[in-house]
Amino acid sequence: MKQKIAALFLASFMALSMASCGTSGSSSGSSSAQSQGQSSKAEEEESYTIGICQLVQHEALDAATQGFRDALTEKLGDKVVFDEKNASNDSAVCSVICNQFVSSNVDLIMANATAALQAAQTASNKIPVLGTSVTDYGTALGISDWTGTVGTNVSGTSDLAPLEDQAKMLQEFFPDAKNVGVFYCSAEPNSKYQSKVITEYLTQMGYTCKDYTFSDSNDVQSAITLAASESDVIYLPTDNTVASNTGIIDSVCRPAKVPIIAGEEGICKGTGVATLSISYYDLGYVTGEMAYDILVNGADPSVMPVQYAPNVTKKYNPVICGELGITPPEGYEAIVVE
Amino acid sequence: MLELANICKTFNIGTINEKKALCGVNLRLQEGDFVTVIGGNGAGKSTMLNAIAGVWPVDGGTISINGIDVTGLPEHRRAAYIGRVFQDPMMGTAANMSIEENLAMALRRGKRRTLRWGITKAERERYHDELKKLGLGLEGRMTSKVGLLSGGQRQAITLLMSALQKPRLLLLDEHTAALDPATAAKVLELTDQIVENNKLTALMITHNMTEAIRHGNRLLMMNAGRIILDIAGEEKKNLKKADLLQKFAEVAGVQEETDSVLLS
Amino acid sequence: MDLLAYFSSLNPMNFVTSLPGNIAQGLIWGIMALGVFITFRLLDFADLTVDGSFATGGAVTVVLIVSGVPTPLALVIAVVSGLLAGFATGLLHTLLGIPGILAGILTQISLWSVNLLILGGANRALNVDKYPLIVSLRNIPTSILAALIFSAVLVALLYWYFGTEQGSAIRVTGSNPHMAKAQGINIDIMKVLALSLSNGLVALSGGLMSQYQGFADIKMGQGAIVIGLAAVIIGEVLGDAMIGRRMNFAVRLGFVTLGGVVYYLVIGLVMWLRMPTDLLKLLTAVIVAIFLAVPYLKKKSKSSFAFAQKRSARKHA
Repeated sequence: MKQKIAALFLASFMALSMASCGTSGSSSGSSSAQSQGQSSKAEEEESYTIGICQLVQHEALDAATQGFRDALTEKLGDKVVFDEKNASNDSAVCSVICNQFVSSNVDLIMANATAALQAAQTASNKIPVLGTSVTDYGTALGISDWTGTVGTNVSGTSDLAPLEDQAKMLQEFFPDAKNVGVFYCSAEPNSKYQSKVITEYLTQMGYTCKDYTFSDSNDVQSAITLAASESDVIYLPTDNTVASNTGIIDSVCRPAKVPIIAGEEGICKGTGVATLSISYYDLGYVTGEMAYDILVNGADPSVMPVQYAPNVTKKYNPVICGELGITPPEGYEAIVVE
Repeated sequence: MLELANICKTFNIGTINEKKALCGVNLRLQEGDFVTVIGGNGAGKSTMLNAIAGVWPVDGGTISINGIDVTGLPEHRRAAYIGRVFQDPMMGTAANMSIEENLAMALRRGKRRTLRWGITKAERERYHDELKKLGLGLEGRMTSKVGLLSGGQRQAITLLMSALQKPRLLLLDEHTAALDPATAAKVLELTDQIVENNKLTALMITHNMTEAIRHGNRLLMMNAGRIILDIAGEEKKNLKKADLLQKFAEVAGVQEETDSVLLS
Repeated sequence: MDLLAYFSSLNPMNFVTSLPGNIAQGLIWGIMALGVFITFRLLDFADLTVDGSFATGGAVTVVLIVSGVPTPLALVIAVVSGLLAGFATGLLHTLLGIPGILAGILTQISLWSVNLLILGGANRALNVDKYPLIVSLRNIPTSILAALIFSAVLVALLYWYFGTEQGSAIRVTGSNPHMAKAQGINIDIMKVLALSLSNGLVALSGGLMSQYQGFADIKMGQGAIVIGLAAVIIGEVLGDAMIGRRMNFAVRLGFVTLGGVVYYLVIGLVMWLRMPTDLLKLLTAVIVAIFLAVPYLKKKSKSSFAFAQKRSARKHA
């Protein structure tokens, strides 16, 4: 009896999955028809389903998602439905999420962070994919001759802060410093890229730069202690793990009186002196506008270049500046620190 | 067949627990000798067996089996010459594997393990016959996992395994100590059979003086890491328990009271 | 929280249509589970190397394919890299006497740096549009077929290998090392062999996974040992429940693969349920725990101390 039940279970399971194989096969077929006839179909569309795949929960990524949602909700009201999923920092789960989006035939996928973008791009070459919070699309997608446009169903926004301006800001604040330590997590693909670029600018300006890396949150304490002991100034790129550990970094660097230039506002709030902040919310908002363009106006993602943050604001952290005895130059806005 | 020349072994050298387990043990076994070994706790009986088997290297002396100096060989290399049955019935067999797989392991003792199939049909028939001789009904359960068997059955299988390859030397370390009297008797009977049928050279440790006298053609008594008594042939046959105790008292002196309590 | 609105927002068809993808991913991880089975069950060794060797397999595969190496060859080389990782752990344990778990951890830590060097960074893309891949999220039916073939072939190979003299020697080493030594088996060599073989399989799984998801990431192996162990145990529980005592070794291996599939179905289920995302890992653990507890509780319901007490109370009453 038990065996019969088991056999029945297995058989129905297999039948179900075979049937869904057929469904998902035909769904990718139908979505291609959809994207071709999109301009005409767009007007008939009742409501849009958008899948959001976010790699991990933290302030900047959350802000981007919120900006994205707000842009679309403003423009489409209740004609848009979001299916928002978070991979809890497990890149394999991104594939699970994107697979579900593709098999349930969403109208657009928003991929928040590099691994999410890569999984989304692999999952479908028909459904439009918009990335955000990704620094370098060329590296992320393995495109060797990067021209600024992906050229497939993928486009999006990049959180690349203008690194040259950040280097200039460092010089503005600390013209006499000698050694700059660049501190980031070796598991973050975007961080190494930022380090490379800003090191070039800073070295041209006469600073000596050194990389200090750690592999995961457990090593932050020991790595930042080393970095603080050898550096006059520390630079933190837009690194997700750094952003999650600003408390530890602050607890080492502030007593050691080592100032930090941060790559984005969230990090600056926790432990930095100043930053050129791009607003992840604004970035998400621009992404939402791009999505609206694709869904309603029938824009073609393959000719949409990757866009950057619309505004850059110079900001400083008054609490940390006060403690370290640093007066910010003209033109800097204070961050509200609770 | 077996020669031990001046074997020494000290455990935990340089610590508070330092113990001279074997001090200059000399022994010569002829082919076909069936030797029983008795002695109090800590006398060095198991240690001597472990030294012969190569569980650890000795601190001094030479061990030769059939003229070959094996002192430098680790346990698994000496295993080609030696069959062992342990005191713990669980130790001699692999619980997760079936009876026939265990026997197949033993058949290949001393040989290189190749990618040939683990058990052949001809082997299975041989195992069936051998198991039948044990008289425990195991020949009908050759594919059962050994872990399901009782201690006595496992010990019987270990015994069979140890003799399967006709080893030069059979080492039995109190192999009936953990069994109930009826099973112990059966296993001892099997031991006698196997040793006699295969004309093996065997060393058997036992706590039971009656057993020690009844089985084998030679008896050793050990104390404080030395062999203090070596009786063979007719003299051994006519030994009585009381004689042993007395001889022991002669040689060991002070220890007599405690040991005569321990020796049954 | 409006339960009605919540439940009505869930579309069961979404879960059903996402099944093939989850099955494909589960089959790929099932291969890793086979590797973990060898060390954990057969050798009785908790091998933490797999968190590193999984990523190594992925890294090697991506870097080679992107440089133009044919995909099958890239996978073979990935397997070799896994063999080497397992070999390293084996040497640390047998030659240097480092306890098994620590040896695995040391290799895993070293592989982090090695993988970074191989990848040239934290992440490397493998664009399915550019390179010929065996499995891919883009094409799920083919992926399932390919993964099934891989699994079937591997199960057959392992069944044959562990029936040979050498394979049996490995099993004895795990089951009873004392006896193994007494039977003339060099248990050090057996351990190194088993560790190498196991990590070769894990690296193969990593190589397939990196193709499937379209990238290799330095973190992709994190938690692999947990998934592997969960898959092995789920497989055993399922096997016991469905087939029971008469399960032979090949079927057992098949169930290990099935365990991987079940684990990923659970993740797919949790994803579909739209629970607060912070709870993903907790929910997965809870569902897996329920899975494992059901047969145990069923057994207990037939015979337990509480019942024995009740029966004895009745007799005396």
